[in-house]
Amino acid sequence: MKTSILAVAAVIAATAAFPAAAQTTSATGTVTINGSVADRCQFTLPSDVINAGELSLQGSGATAGKLDSSKLDGQTRTLQGWCNGTAATMSVEAQRLVNTTFTTTPPAGFDRVVNYIATATANSANATDTSVTDGAGSSVPVGMFTGDVKVTLSGSSSPTSGLLVAGDYSGQVLVTLTPSVTPAP
Amino acid sequence: MKRLALTLLAAAALPGIAHAQATDTATADVGVSGTVAKLCTLGTPTPAPVDVGQMANTSGARVGKITVIAPRTVTLPGSFCNFAGSAITVTATALVSTDASAVEPGFAKAVNYTADVANWAAGSATVTTAATAGGGSPTASATGPTQPAPKVADLDVTLSNFTAPSDFLLTAGAYSGLVVVKLGPVASGGD
Repeated sequence: MKTSILAVAAVIAATAAFPAAAQTTSATGTVTINGSVADRCQFTLPSDVINAGELSLQGSGATAGKLDSSKLDGQTRTLQGWCNGTAATMSVEAQRLVNTTFTTTPPAGFDRVVNYIATATANSANATDTSVTDGAGSSVPVGMFTGDVKVTLSGSSSPTSGLLVAGDYSGQVLVTLTPSVTPAP
Repeated sequence: MKRLALTLLAAAALPGIAHAQATDTATADVGVSGTVAKLCTLGTPTPAPVDVGQMANTSGARVGKITVIAPRTVTLPGSFCNFAGSAITVTATALVSTDASAVEPGFAKAVNYTADVANWAAGSATVTTAATAGGGSPTASATGPTQPAPKVADLDVTLSNFTAPSDFLLTAGAYSGLVVVKLGPVASGGD
């Protein structure tokens, strides 16, 4: 009987002690913070101009009046831009120079179009395109980079190697940086 | 106290949505321009100079008077203008004796002729000299029709219809004349 009383007392004591133990247990709440950075490309220097001047050969020789290819070949301009994703690509489209003041079909022996090849170089990647065919050239991986996008012209020619019709000629090179879709992690 | 986990999710961070929207393509342009100046070029005259030889008859009923001189044609190959609206101007100077002495009555020291430049426009540029017997006023000029397009062609300059003023007797000596062909934009209009 005495033993029984002690046992009860022990239970009471244990019960009485329980609130004290609850006061020392930690509780943790968690706030998870997520964000993202989308794949992106941007030009910080998005345009420039090449004014090639007189495009035809001067003088009175057999080539007088025909394209002076030195006026376009080797011309370079440096744009600037960046892409923040490893899957970014670059393409270039060379749009031929066309006589904007003489718009009809030229007679035999004359040309009113000047073609060329444009090459864009960024992050050691080269994208090229010829203006002979419409549309942009093939895209090349350019990856994550920031800095120069160098545009170079080469291989200029006229369709029939004929005499160039007098007038003003205009074309352009379009460089496109595409971020592409990166694989989901 | 219940354990509470509160998660904040940005919609853009959801896989499959975020990357599909990543289409921020950037395009830059380099304008390329140039000009081609108006240009006309005449090919080298072939043959040149032209020597018509003996111009007076040395016998017969017309002895001493101008003989029949066959037409001469000079070609200017590969002549061109790279613009619309060009024309040819031909200036001819009669064959005149290089002897400056005055001529006696009944004699002439000039030979006139017709210069015709063909194969440029719809019609030729033609001029006929009208020098006097004494060699005065030997030069004449004319402009042909307008060529409405850029053109490259072999120009033919034909010299013909050689005559002496009043069909007088020709004085002896060397004669020389000149034909100048000018190819360029028309005086008014033209591109």
